[in-house]
Amino acid sequence: MLKLHGNLPVLNSTTKDAYLITVTTNTNLPPVLKKNRALLMQPNQDPKGYKAVLTKEKGSTDFDADSDVFQISDDYNYLNEGDIVRLDPSSGSMRSLYRKNSPHNTILLTEQCDHYCLMCSQPPKDVDDSWLLQEVFELISLMPTDTKGLGFSGGEPTLYGDRLIDLLHHTKRSLPTTAIDILSNGRAFKDMEFAKNYATVEHPDMLIGIPIYSDDPVRHDYVVQSRGAFDETIKGILNLKKVSQKVEIRIVIHKQTVDRLVRTCEFIARNLLFVDHVALMGLEITGFTRPNLDLLWIDPYEYKDILSEAVAVLNSYGMNASVYNHQLCTINPDVLGNYRKSISDWKTEFLDECLSCTKRTDCGGLFSSSKQFRHSRYIKAFK
Amino acid sequence: MSEFRTIEFYKSRKSSYRLLPFRFTPLDQDRYVLTNMAGEYLVSARDKLLDFLQHKLANEDPTYIELRSRHFLIDDNSSIAPELLAIKLRTRYDRLAEFTGLHIFVVTLRCEHSCPYCQVSRQSEDKLRYDMSSEIASGAIDLALRSPSQNIKIEFQGGEPLLNFELIKFIVLEAKKRNQKRDKNLAFVIATNLALINEDILIFCRQHSILISTSLDGPKDLHNANRPRPGGDSYEKTIEGIKLVRQTLGRDRVSALMTTTEASLDRVQEIIDEYLTQDFNGIFLRPLSPYGFAIKTKSYRAYNTERWLDFYKEGLEYIIGLNRQGIDFIEYYAATILKKMLTSEDPGYVDLMSPSGIGIGAVVYNYDGYVYASDESRMLAEMGEEKFRLGKVLENSYEQIFTSPNLLDPLEESFAYSVPMCNDCAFEPYCGADPVFHYALYKDYVGRKPESEFCFRNMATFRFLIKKMEDDKLVRQLFTKWANN
Amino acid sequence: MKDSEKESKTISVNFDSQVFSLMAIKKAAYKYIDSFSADITAENHEVRCVLSLTSPRNEENSARLVDDFKKEVLDQDLRETLKDETEAVRNLILAHAFSKTGIVNNERVSDD
Repeated sequence: MLKLHGNLPVLNSTTKDAYLITVTTNTNLPPVLKKNRALLMQPNQDPKGYKAVLTKEKGSTDFDADSDVFQISDDYNYLNEGDIVRLDPSSGSMRSLYRKNSPHNTILLTEQCDHYCLMCSQPPKDVDDSWLLQEVFELISLMPTDTKGLGFSGGEPTLYGDRLIDLLHHTKRSLPTTAIDILSNGRAFKDMEFAKNYATVEHPDMLIGIPIYSDDPVRHDYVVQSRGAFDETIKGILNLKKVSQKVEIRIVIHKQTVDRLVRTCEFIARNLLFVDHVALMGLEITGFTRPNLDLLWIDPYEYKDILSEAVAVLNSYGMNASVYNHQLCTINPDVLGNYRKSISDWKTEFLDECLSCTKRTDCGGLFSSSKQFRHSRYIKAFK
Repeated sequence: MSEFRTIEFYKSRKSSYRLLPFRFTPLDQDRYVLTNMAGEYLVSARDKLLDFLQHKLANEDPTYIELRSRHFLIDDNSSIAPELLAIKLRTRYDRLAEFTGLHIFVVTLRCEHSCPYCQVSRQSEDKLRYDMSSEIASGAIDLALRSPSQNIKIEFQGGEPLLNFELIKFIVLEAKKRNQKRDKNLAFVIATNLALINEDILIFCRQHSILISTSLDGPKDLHNANRPRPGGDSYEKTIEGIKLVRQTLGRDRVSALMTTTEASLDRVQEIIDEYLTQDFNGIFLRPLSPYGFAIKTKSYRAYNTERWLDFYKEGLEYIIGLNRQGIDFIEYYAATILKKMLTSEDPGYVDLMSPSGIGIGAVVYNYDGYVYASDESRMLAEMGEEKFRLGKVLENSYEQIFTSPNLLDPLEESFAYSVPMCNDCAFEPYCGADPVFHYALYKDYVGRKPESEFCFRNMATFRFLIKKMEDDKLVRQLFTKWANN
Repeated sequence: MKDSEKESKTISVNFDSQVFSLMAIKKAAYKYIDSFSADITAENHEVRCVLSLTSPRNEENSARLVDDFKKEVLDQDLRETLKDETEAVRNLILAHAFSKTGIVNNERVSDD
């Protein structure tokens, strides 16, 4: 798993506040450009003229007095030309916000949320972090226009209301050909005005991913720990469709959702046939999942037949469905057509058992957290 | 970190609920079929149903949870159902606004076969008398394109339509020409026995993407007995024709329909095997046509409908068995009904539509210019009953034809939702109003449903399909695939 | 000769009119029109049905028929209650279904 942020020793600094900056490995940049780049320094390179320097050298070399110099370890070897990081010279904090080599970057907009899902991978914090949103406007402006796709998530992004819409407009203007996907519980869209406002973005390739955990409203409300969630979420989806927006439904499969998984897919096929995609997802053992593990854990191998049945329903009705976050040895072959390698590259892992597996390159692997805390007992190399 | 609440917290404390509109009909001795406003069904034990109706069902009961998810009730936990039901209902009826999609052109009454059950064909050399003229064809094309439907299917029937292939060419070319400014999706089908198919005909069909629909009643002896022809080789000609069409036009360009006669009733497996041998992907096990036969004998029911049901059930079981072995083979009659049961789509099958499919789903332009509300309406006219004749091409306008009382009266009077017994039948969403059938047998558009062969057959079929799905998960999965075919 | 030999041609069944509506009884009788025709009279608190079987039945079959008929009367009665209870929401759903929701394609207008 990649270490995306940490506190680094600061060898020199002049700036007080945190800022976003693009990383470069190029020592031949014209001086005007060096002034807003962070140099990922190799030994014996000349670090002069750069706004910031990231170096493995312990002792101080020839730095400019007005460069912010951070000492990085091997943990950050993934950093590369074109990445964008946030540097905070006063605390030494560095956070990778955008990685050019990643097929998909997800940007956190807020940690606030009006749900409290049993398996939340980004547990909510009731702290005003609207400064994050501000920063994202700047991040978007720094991002290269050839970025294929990016995701907005949280917490619950729609808590920002119209400011979220402003961000989407801004993203469309700055990155006109970049696909956007947004993760949301969809409830804010029960207000048709908000849905219409969202539609004004008129983005060529924007999708909103909304979870529905059960066809049983009580169970859905329970999983997200909020009364009335089911009805409002459905209403939100209907409104989004009335204004012709692309919607994806996401279902995380665990012990609280697996019993009704097939019924839930039938519900989607009968009532929400017009959604653009359905994602059936394996459980990530992070955030709230760990304290709730007893409630949630079921070995995917044990529900593979249910998964097959659920996928068959969606396929029969002609819906686009994908299976994410599962290992090839824990699913039945009949879902292979829907199987995707989906775990974000920075948290993909394999077990020792997997080293000899003939299908390793086709497999999505495991979450780092799964490897560490809990995974299927049936992981076995294909011969 | 706040505390997580148990699921109990999310259940409403009140056990009260509001019923949503639904209908119920017995499935068997112990169970009932319930259907909601969108036509989705749920099977329940009688005692649970009674509790449910009397507001005694507890919200922990698994049946309660199903009833809520499937839109039979609303409660404090969820009341989004009415909105979802409205959308599903709307989708179901959306097709109505499209209006007439199937336009049957009877281009000639001449035929070189002499099938005993056929109501309409004559052996005749008299082309003038029994062929459709190009003037009538031209008028009929205008009527067909006048339909609001975006998708128009023109089907050529007869007699044997290939005996008047020149007219078919004329109609195809003219229709396409006149469609240029309308831009509808035109599809053409020729319903032919294939005895007269040749290279030239096939080239034309290929040029214009014309589909072929032929008849295959079963193995050779059965088929030939049903379809006498000079030379006694109807079957051979059909098989040859099918091969030729596949070679020239493509494998999926020819479909086969069977006519079920008394002789078929004991031989369903053989008939299916014949379709397998001829490399078809499925078969349509058609109900017995009452026209001609049952008019003569009133004992139709006890003997024929029951026998057909046995025929059908045996055939369907056999086909399910094939699928279990990994052979993909569909039964299309079941698939048609299943589409109504398991999706919000309307298959547009004329015999199972309410409001009736006559006029709304299909219309027939006969060789002599008379316009009929459906194929069966035409057959009835050939037997002397002109109740469903709507008008005449070139003499009556589109409005006159489609607002003819001969169309509107049966449509209105037979609308199943308003008919005694149908209006509270749980199977009504799957069934149809068949005013032509009922008029043929009982001399009124509706008949008395308890005595109606149509009703008896349909209810038995619906119950059979639902029971199979309830009792066998694999069948349910198979049927779900068929429903979306 | 057994007692269960076919005999009955008419059977009497009575209903308390304070419990079951006349309409429910009529509708139930309609459903069995192929098995019997019913003479229905109402007096005080009783509805009397004299069922004339269309073909003779033995005792066992007759008993079953009467049983089914009684169940159907109850079903019809419940259907009436159900209809009353759900009339308002049914109209709501229909109105919604046939307004322009924007989710389902709106009708195309014929250009003639």
